[in-house]
Amino acid sequence: MAQQRARLQHPAAWWLWGLGLATAASRTTNPVVLLLVVGVCVVVVSERHDPATPNPLPAFLVIGGAVLAFRLVMTAVLGNGIVGDTVVVTLPRVPLPEWAANVRLGGAVTLEALLYAAYDALRLAAILACLGAANALASPRRLLRYLPSTLYDVGTAVVVGLTFAPQLLSDARDVRAARTLRGRDGRGLRETARLTVPVLETAFERSLGLAASMESRGYGRAVRTSTSSRRAATGLALAGLVGVLAGLYGLLDASAGGLLGLPVLVLGAVLAGSSLLVGASRDTRSGHRRDRWAWTETVTAAAGAVPATVLVVASVQGWDGVVPSQRAELPALPLLAVVAVLVATIPAWVTPRPREALS
Amino acid sequence: MITFDHVSVRYADAPSPSLHDVTLEIPEGELVLVVGPTGSGKSTLLRTVNGLVPHFSGGTLTGRVTVDGLDTAEHRPRDLATVVGLVEQNPTSTFVTDVVEDEVAYGMETMGLDPTTIRRRVEETLDLFGLTPLRGQSLRALSGGQQQRVAIAALFAAGPRVLVLDEPTSALDPVAAEEVLASLHRIVHDLGVTVVLAEHRLERVVHHADRVLLVDDGHVSELLEPADAMLRSQIYPPVVGLSRLVGWSPTPLSIRDARRRAASLRDALGASTPMAAAGRRLVGREQSVVLDGVRVSRGHRTVIDAIDLTVSRGSVTTLMGRNGAGKSTLLGAIAAQHRLAAGRVRLGAAATDPHATPARERVRTVGLVPQQPELLLYADTVAAECAAADADFGAASGTCRALLDRISGGIDPGTHPRDLSEGQRLALALAVILSGSPEVLLLDEPTRGLDYGAKKRLGEVLTGLAAGGTTVVLATHDVELAAEIADRVVILADGEVVTDGPAREVLASSPAFAPQVTKVLLPQTWLTVAEVAGALARIA
Amino acid sequence: MTSRRVIPLRWPAVVAVAVVGVVGLVAFTWPFFVTGDFARDHGNDAPWLFALLLALLAVVCLAEVTAGRLDAKTIAVLGVAAAAGGALRLLSAGTAGLEPMFFVVIVAGCVLGPGVGFVSGALAVTVGALLTGGVGPWLPFQMICAGGIGLGAGLLPARPGRRSERWVVAAYALVTGLAYGVFMNLWFWPFLGTGAPTGMGFVPGASLGENLGHYALFYVTTSLGWDLPRGVLNAVLVLVAGPALLRDFRRGARRAAFGVPVVFEATDRPLQNAGGPR
Repeated sequence: MAQQRARLQHPAAWWLWGLGLATAASRTTNPVVLLLVVGVCVVVVSERHDPATPNPLPAFLVIGGAVLAFRLVMTAVLGNGIVGDTVVVTLPRVPLPEWAANVRLGGAVTLEALLYAAYDALRLAAILACLGAANALASPRRLLRYLPSTLYDVGTAVVVGLTFAPQLLSDARDVRAARTLRGRDGRGLRETARLTVPVLETAFERSLGLAASMESRGYGRAVRTSTSSRRAATGLALAGLVGVLAGLYGLLDASAGGLLGLPVLVLGAVLAGSSLLVGASRDTRSGHRRDRWAWTETVTAAAGAVPATVLVVASVQGWDGVVPSQRAELPALPLLAVVAVLVATIPAWVTPRPREALS
Repeated sequence: MITFDHVSVRYADAPSPSLHDVTLEIPEGELVLVVGPTGSGKSTLLRTVNGLVPHFSGGTLTGRVTVDGLDTAEHRPRDLATVVGLVEQNPTSTFVTDVVEDEVAYGMETMGLDPTTIRRRVEETLDLFGLTPLRGQSLRALSGGQQQRVAIAALFAAGPRVLVLDEPTSALDPVAAEEVLASLHRIVHDLGVTVVLAEHRLERVVHHADRVLLVDDGHVSELLEPADAMLRSQIYPPVVGLSRLVGWSPTPLSIRDARRRAASLRDALGASTPMAAAGRRLVGREQSVVLDGVRVSRGHRTVIDAIDLTVSRGSVTTLMGRNGAGKSTLLGAIAAQHRLAAGRVRLGAAATDPHATPARERVRTVGLVPQQPELLLYADTVAAECAAADADFGAASGTCRALLDRISGGIDPGTHPRDLSEGQRLALALAVILSGSPEVLLLDEPTRGLDYGAKKRLGEVLTGLAAGGTTVVLATHDVELAAEIADRVVILADGEVVTDGPAREVLASSPAFAPQVTKVLLPQTWLTVAEVAGALARIA
Repeated sequence: MTSRRVIPLRWPAVVAVAVVGVVGLVAFTWPFFVTGDFARDHGNDAPWLFALLLALLAVVCLAEVTAGRLDAKTIAVLGVAAAAGGALRLLSAGTAGLEPMFFVVIVAGCVLGPGVGFVSGALAVTVGALLTGGVGPWLPFQMICAGGIGLGAGLLPARPGRRSERWVVAAYALVTGLAYGVFMNLWFWPFLGTGAPTGMGFVPGASLGENLGHYALFYVTTSLGWDLPRGVLNAVLVLVAGPALLRDFRRGARRAAFGVPVVFEATDRPLQNAGGPR
């Protein structure tokens, strides 16, 4: 039976979607909107995650939850900059020495302070969920294909690293098992240190084999580079870096004319970025089974752009409920923002299903 | 197609050249077999063909190597990729991607071919090598033979006129090796590709060869007819050994040729019985390994299922069977490397349960030399490794060194264990394990990458140990080794014992596992050249 | 040592690394020296801006250091270093930042020089992030930090094989383990704003000393508990496994025959030297 590989969405589409949603989340602290963002991520991932690859979203959600809990505990014990008068509970206050007079340990815990911390942490958790969803929907290693030619070699080293890392772990297990054959149980720091020798030796031997194989298989023939293009790239990169530095200085030091800062910064960044394109060239037509950009990719990217645009506008115009108060009340719900976030669920149904569930 | 013009190679820091003044010309469309012991310069010779030596390895190349008119001094290996493909012994370390189809396409992608060409060639190559059903599979999930076929296909897809293969079937079982060789045979015969092949296991390949090159200590012979080469070569398959013994001429290379000649030999041997010939050991009744309903699962898969097996003390038993039949797992279960899902294992005179014994004491009962002996080696020098082994096993200082000298004389104690040849590395690992003086010795695929000389020494060491009362169990694909040393053969398939009996009966009756001498002399059941020689000597 | 020139640092690369280092430093420390207005207006955007900027600069810097081309052997050795770092990161994913990864990066830098140290540091973080699915705005900051650690390790004044070498490297591991935490916390600290605990938050417009004090307190209370064990773990690993690992990497570099001359000679007279193995 021929095992056909199903079409996977272009990875860039999913990352644009995720980054759009993350931008939206970063603009608001409204808990309802943020929870909605997390919900959208969960729904889309459960619908369109490729079952053949690991799913990092749950780990991201756990980390988000941990951030939330940690922030709440820290706020309860150490307080924060929010002054409120709805005291929830009063902890015993620990007296601190003179040099730490600014720090509060214990004392009254106010609802306002807790809510502020919770909203803020929830925003971080929602951003994490968006990134986790992007990681889950399109493994970032698929993006490596789209590195500019100048980084072809570096990208290859990353691919080699990605292939070797799981092998290193399984080698380590084998070596540890082999350790018992010499009457050692393979526990303890010194024993662990011993494992590194055969594991790394094996890895180096394998890497040399791989290098020889890559060399004799014509590695890098499609990438063309010349001294002049290299010089041009270096010139662009250095000019760009200096521009970035000058722009930053202008931006951060208001007395140096803040207006000039941003354009110079952007110009520098563009110059530096273009050095990547100039440094080497590659026959871009070549490639086997490249990802295609079809209408579903456009829809996916747009579905991320909509909430981002709406929430950026909302935060600039200061819509009601985008940054809710910390009072003990249900925050106002910006209806348009909610709708915009819901738009982001559309890819869950219109995009191609990555592959049939394994039967 | 390939010409060598007074080629010598000397690596940096090497005391003497690895190749001396090689001059030869390999014509297009030939399958050339390179024969020589480990360390003779075979690999160096193969790697000069596409310029990996010296471009990649460093060193000095004197003379000229040209492939299809291209001088390797002016063309780097990557520039020759469209002309020469190089296949290594271990395909897993040469895979750049992780899916069959991508791997086949990789070479063409790096060369910048256009997508339609790539697509077409991928399809053609997959069909040619019978890989179409596996195209979407992960490379790690394939069997060894399939991986090697993918490696060859991946090179072949880029369209080279020359394929160079360095021991492509050393790690494979006989059936998988046959698959690989059949693919090679097809591309040589149908497509006129020139193939240069080095292989230790001559019995598998010599009858495929058009020409043979003998390599010894850096000296390379001219292109020889295989039959002539086998007369001169210091290493040769058993069928050639039989021919040399009896004096057949020209030397038969295949079983079929040999059988046609063997009628008179069969008649001469007719009266004598093989049993008395080689003086097989008499095996005691005492049981040293007792397996009772052993089951081992890995993940959700049952790898070993309900195996009952008893092995007598002081015997040599070989476990045979396809890759993945459960041989290694069974050895691992006996050595308590894998947990038992059911059943029990009792070892040695004291009926020790290895699974209930701490590692420190277990090593006195059972020792296992794993498939990759280097997993056991941690030190920087052979001397340090031996000292560490003495400490690990609580043996008197110098025990391991003495064992090593007995098993394989003449290893420089200052060498790094990883710089040893495969045979020396195995000897060191064996010496380390034997420092614990285990009652039961297990070896997993010990003959991987060993040449005939190293294999012969290993056989002598193992029979010597068995004579001294050690119980030896080894898993191997090597039917010739089994024929030389085994008292008993157990064949596994899908985790079950399918055949179990005295070596002679089992080997002679199995089509896949019969040694060459047996195949030639059937229906008589001679296993080795030495047995036949002994019988002829007695008749004369 | 020829192996230390595996990736030679040419002057444009040195300048690029220096500039990126300065931008990186600014990206981490800007809260301490900007005006109150700027901090109030842009406090929320700045971390994102810097994440984008550093992602670009890290990549430009990698391109400059590798001068666009690496040979297959270098790629393979970098791959192993990155894989070792990434695998350690994978293993330690459960232990909240107790990353023994730096240990490998430091050893690689020590043996193979600052160029490889920088690239393998940046790549180890990348591989770790790709393996754990942990790609996010923190990645550029980590790449710069880890690259800097590897680069610094390549510049350590440790003589190979000397007894003192392991102590120098161990001390470096301890210091960088702590410094890494100090910097990595800085990138989101201003972000917390008033959300930070009393007396530990970023106060826009306050004096440098005051903000430094606040940050020091914040760091000690929230992060030192993780960073100190990490630094100590890396240092202990260097002490215990360092010599063996250093030997491994040196042997690996030797086996790869970096910098071993490739010579072609005609049968009688030397004809041409085809330069290095590249």
